[in-house]
Amino acid sequence: MLGIAKGLAYTLKRLGQDSITHNYPDEPLDLPDRFRGIQTFYPEKCIVCNQCVAICPTNCITLTGKKHPDPNNKKRIIDTYDINFEICILCDLCTEVCPTEAVVMSNNFELAAYSRDELFKDLDWLNENRKNVREVNRP
Amino acid sequence: MDLNFEDLTLEEQEELKRNVLTTTVDQLKAWVRSHSMWPLTFGLACCAIEMMGTGASHFDQDRFGVMFRASPRQADVMIVAGTVTKKMAPVLRRLYDQMPEPKWVIAMGVCATAGGPYVRSYSVVKGVDQVVPVDVYIPGCPPNPAALIYGINKLKEKIRLEAKTGKRVSSQ
Repeated sequence: MLGIAKGLAYTLKRLGQDSITHNYPDEPLDLPDRFRGIQTFYPEKCIVCNQCVAICPTNCITLTGKKHPDPNNKKRIIDTYDINFEICILCDLCTEVCPTEAVVMSNNFELAAYSRDELFKDLDWLNENRKNVREVNRP
Repeated sequence: MDLNFEDLTLEEQEELKRNVLTTTVDQLKAWVRSHSMWPLTFGLACCAIEMMGTGASHFDQDRFGVMFRASPRQADVMIVAGTVTKKMAPVLRRLYDQMPEPKWVIAMGVCATAGGPYVRSYSVVKGVDQVVPVDVYIPGCPPNPAALIYGINKLKEKIRLEAKTGKRVSSQ
């Protein structure tokens, strides 16, 4: 009898409280700044050091650079930058290792696709992915 | 019986659109199906934890009519959540064959999509689409519950679009 009263008291206490369910598709979900969604890439910051390619555990990043148009300038500039998001495990190592923060994480997670080809993200796609980008990359 | 909208005047067409629900049986069936998709839980790895989280109260899947079934005979959609090993692949195919038509497959996470971190492994199937036809791929390692809900809504859209156009929707 006491058990039923205890249970009912808890139920009645909870009855007036708000539901904890996120109303997700109607309201956007607020995510923390360290959330890992998909990378954003800034081609103007990239120095073609190849460190992100070297550290990627699944080898899903490929990049090519080209010579600077000015022959006296020894710097290289980025030509193509592809992330094969099919096998990206979102370990965040590419953003940690990048010396100029040219590749950073964003909070965008709505990436479901009808075909696997759509998950291959190229430089233009990653450059246009500018919403909800992580503000503080280095802790 | 045929219905020709071309014979009517523009005002009559507008009148019809306002007052008469014109649809085909296929579209009606797709609408019904997309509102009660019962998934077969195929939790194989850590993605299954996120799938369970989607079913729990924070991201209540029952809002969309998505209720987990433990039997393939009662399921419409199979959510493959996790790494499919070569030993598991025949079992997965058998469970898929036991599901009644119409049936759909969602590949959740990068392991089910393409092998993920085990892409260079000798014992893992590189993508569940080598075993069963996949409708929606959800990337992420693991995708968070909201991403799974987004994928489910994408599958709903696909079911309705396929009924409306009569063509297979593979990419946009």
